[in-house]
Amino acid sequence: MLDSNQTEFMNNIKQALGHAGDDTERQGMFFDLPMSEKDRAILKGIENRTPQEEEILLETMIEAAEPINLNVIVLPDVASVSSAIVDLVREKEPEWGDKKSVAAWKHPLMASLNLAEALSEQGVSVYFTDVVEDGGAEDDLSAETREKLRQQIIDSYIGITSADFCMADTATLVLRTRPGQARSVSLLPLIHVAVITRAQIIADLKELCALLKWDPQHQKEGLTNCMTFISGPSKTADIEATMVHGAHGPREVYIFVITG
Amino acid sequence: MTKITTENYITEAKRAIKNQVLQRALGDLQQRFGQSTALAYQQLPEGPELRLTGHDIRMQTIENLDIILEKLAENIRKNSGHVFFAKDGQAAVEYALQIARKHHVRRIVKGKSMVTEEIGLNNALIDAGIDVTETDLGEYIIQLAGEHPSHIIAPAIHKTRNEIGKLFSEKLDIPYITDPPKLTQEARKALRKKFLAADMGTSGCNLACAETGHIAVVSNEGNIRMSSTMPRVHLVFMGMERVVARLQDHDVLVRLLCRGASAQKMSTYVSYIGGPRYVGQADGPQEFHLIILDNGRSQILADEEFREMLCCVRCAACLNVCPVYGKIGGHSYGFTYSGPVGAVVTPLLVGINQAKDLCLGETLCGACKDACPVNIDIPRMLLALRFKLAEGDPVWNVTPADRKEKAIYSAWSWMIRHRGAYDFFHRLASFGQNVLPQKDGMIRRLPPPLSAWTHSRDIKAMTAETFMRRWRKGF
Repeated sequence: MLDSNQTEFMNNIKQALGHAGDDTERQGMFFDLPMSEKDRAILKGIENRTPQEEEILLETMIEAAEPINLNVIVLPDVASVSSAIVDLVREKEPEWGDKKSVAAWKHPLMASLNLAEALSEQGVSVYFTDVVEDGGAEDDLSAETREKLRQQIIDSYIGITSADFCMADTATLVLRTRPGQARSVSLLPLIHVAVITRAQIIADLKELCALLKWDPQHQKEGLTNCMTFISGPSKTADIEATMVHGAHGPREVYIFVITG
Repeated sequence: MTKITTENYITEAKRAIKNQVLQRALGDLQQRFGQSTALAYQQLPEGPELRLTGHDIRMQTIENLDIILEKLAENIRKNSGHVFFAKDGQAAVEYALQIARKHHVRRIVKGKSMVTEEIGLNNALIDAGIDVTETDLGEYIIQLAGEHPSHIIAPAIHKTRNEIGKLFSEKLDIPYITDPPKLTQEARKALRKKFLAADMGTSGCNLACAETGHIAVVSNEGNIRMSSTMPRVHLVFMGMERVVARLQDHDVLVRLLCRGASAQKMSTYVSYIGGPRYVGQADGPQEFHLIILDNGRSQILADEEFREMLCCVRCAACLNVCPVYGKIGGHSYGFTYSGPVGAVVTPLLVGINQAKDLCLGETLCGACKDACPVNIDIPRMLLALRFKLAEGDPVWNVTPADRKEKAIYSAWSWMIRHRGAYDFFHRLASFGQNVLPQKDGMIRRLPPPLSAWTHSRDIKAMTAETFMRRWRKGF
């Protein structure tokens, strides 16, 4: 591999800025700082959130979703979400070709929806992006498996995921990628369906940053190698400033919020 | 490097002003974004003052850019990403070509990025026999038409639906249609094939995060997600200033950026990408490369007068309010960056004398500063550039632009400090002006060398007596 040229490049910058010698003090201004009181208060607020406060956040999220043409549907339990998805699959037509198939994440919430069974009646296949190979979980997927999964997601017209969080302020889903939770499920299909619980709703980006940085569970995993914010359907206004949905990503996005 | 045509500023500006279609599009654009961006700042929970916080964060970052970039590179390498530092456009392009060769890349999909325009990446890749496709709808239209973008975030605003319909029917071999949703659908179809067939995807970087080791990319269409997810290799081009230290800085700056760019509270997609896919993941690239580009930026950094310009996050808010951009459009600026940001950045990148008209053409009205999500004092820097053009500057290698103008101002300066000379000149001029064409107390045309003044406006005729004389006479 090529030399990265880092030393020369950095020396140029240091010279331009007039920095020389030990950087430790300057590094201490930015990195490895202890938790601020502000962050502590934010985390405490999240931890002690009451069901009433959760309800208010849900309302905020619904309000924010409207102007961006994002559908938020609040349902009491998993069973009603499952049947709502079945209805959606019946109602919506695929974009390319006539065969209906659906791609879904491997996720406890997905599993509880029993989608494969619920959709078999309509003859719709459900592809889960969680193929475990003989080698076991430690092994990487083979090229063939990866290609097969890719093709299944390409062929699917609805992609079903959960999310790590939803920021109420902007109705933004926060999705991190993991084995079994492919990035393209929320991207390639015509319709993206996200299923979350009400407890996953947080107030805003400030809360997200505090959680990712300080919450022990989230801190460990970090942002992963791809964390994506999704606020509504894909859109463009590049032709005479006319708003059109579904430029490259999904044309419709549904968030099912389980309150039970 | 992209072709620089800054010397044509005046002729291109005249041409743009005569172009009715462009004038209407620019008017619509400014009306739509100008006010709604201001409103979006007002509606921030912290109020528009958050822009000042954003400015502080950016300035602090820029002043410690070395350690912050080191941290970013360290963290990206920890996640198996590659980082390359390119001192200029050529080094960046060569590195990209090397990666492309290594992976036998034949097809590339490009997410929108101004910095790849700046270094002229597309032509270099095409010359190497690679199929390069711009995937932002506006950029795609521009690429099909063989043009360059005229606005940072709305690159095809100068094209009508009829022109685009004609272009698509020729290039995509489809019937002539003009309905924007249908045209968008055709592009979706054509570009989806490109995304799925591409070996390599490229993107820019809106703002990296050093402490986590991620680049953040923002889009509404989803093309950048496509370019960074579907191909085998993801190559990122980042101007070296496009970074902040901490995640909490992103809380401030991402919110400001989305508002500045398109008056949105949050753009549809914001992705934080920190390396290639890891074991067990079904998708994402197998290799991730970040190219960090200097290309003249360290010289801007070294000059405390212009360092502030590196706070810019290229959102184009200043274009949407600028009275000059609103009339002359993006192409007149003759380089990748247009509007107020271009009027400062372009001279600094390509040469102050070469691009002098850009900073001379702006009005100094200050609208850009008010619209800027990080409150960059662009008018101050425009004046600083004009000062260098008037006086010359050895560091920036500036020769005084107009010796005649300087001579006139020196004479004027001497005269107003010498009462007798001033009175003599005044009497001479107030008598002499009688031979000039006048209407309603205004002079229509001044003689050379002052004639440019009255090309497009009148000047008020001089009073017959100075204030001092009238005062002495007791009015």
